[in-house]
Amino acid sequence: MPDPRPLSIPVILGTARKGRMSAHAANLVLGELRKREGVVTELIDIATLQHCLDDNGQGTADPAWATCMTWADAIVIVAPEYNHAMPGLLKHVLDSCLKEYIHKAAGIVAVSAGPFGGTRVIESSLPVFRELGLVTIFWDLNVGSVGKVFDETGKLLDPAFVRRTDKFLGELIWMAKTLRHGRENVTLQ
Amino acid sequence: MAQTTQRGMRCPKCGAQMNAHAQKLIVTANTREPGFDPQLGGFLEETNACPNCGNVEARRV
Repeated sequence: MPDPRPLSIPVILGTARKGRMSAHAANLVLGELRKREGVVTELIDIATLQHCLDDNGQGTADPAWATCMTWADAIVIVAPEYNHAMPGLLKHVLDSCLKEYIHKAAGIVAVSAGPFGGTRVIESSLPVFRELGLVTIFWDLNVGSVGKVFDETGKLLDPAFVRRTDKFLGELIWMAKTLRHGRENVTLQ
Repeated sequence: MAQTTQRGMRCPKCGAQMNAHAQKLIVTANTREPGFDPQLGGFLEETNACPNCGNVEARRV
């Protein structure tokens, strides 16, 4: 029997940098998610969160972030590649919660100015997500040479990304449904 | 088929029986932490999910 509750899948814009091109990638995924039946989504811009700068770790989260993560079934993390890793502010935000993430699906949209499609930020982020209890999917959305994928207004220049996003979201939604069933029905022995 | 638990919490949001689906080891050097297990080197946090409203809660076990 289908679950009547929609899946909650927020899109996390993981950089506060001025002029960030990652915002265009986040908006692409947000728009494609909104076309899906049975899914509710919103954009969470980490630049707008309240950051605790004199403490770190579980329990220091902006209440809005913690609430969003509590009700999320999956998250899409849009992460630019800064010096081969995720932005420090994104790591700080992710570290501010824990129980809210456990056994929930995570998909990565990696953004880079260069040609490698953010593969290095994906590789360096996977152990972090694993330690947080997130379950990463094996589809990524690699947005390399982002300046050629979107124009300055955010218009998509390469239509192949619509199909790539569709495949990415299909896997994420499957994992979100499966993990929701597991969280709510399968007890740890 | 759903498996029931005796360990799961009552959901503080809606009162339904929650499901204990995970235990996370929180490694700490503070051996006086409540629930500290010297064999594990930390304490365990049990994560519970509510099948009625979707809430998430954790507690030390």
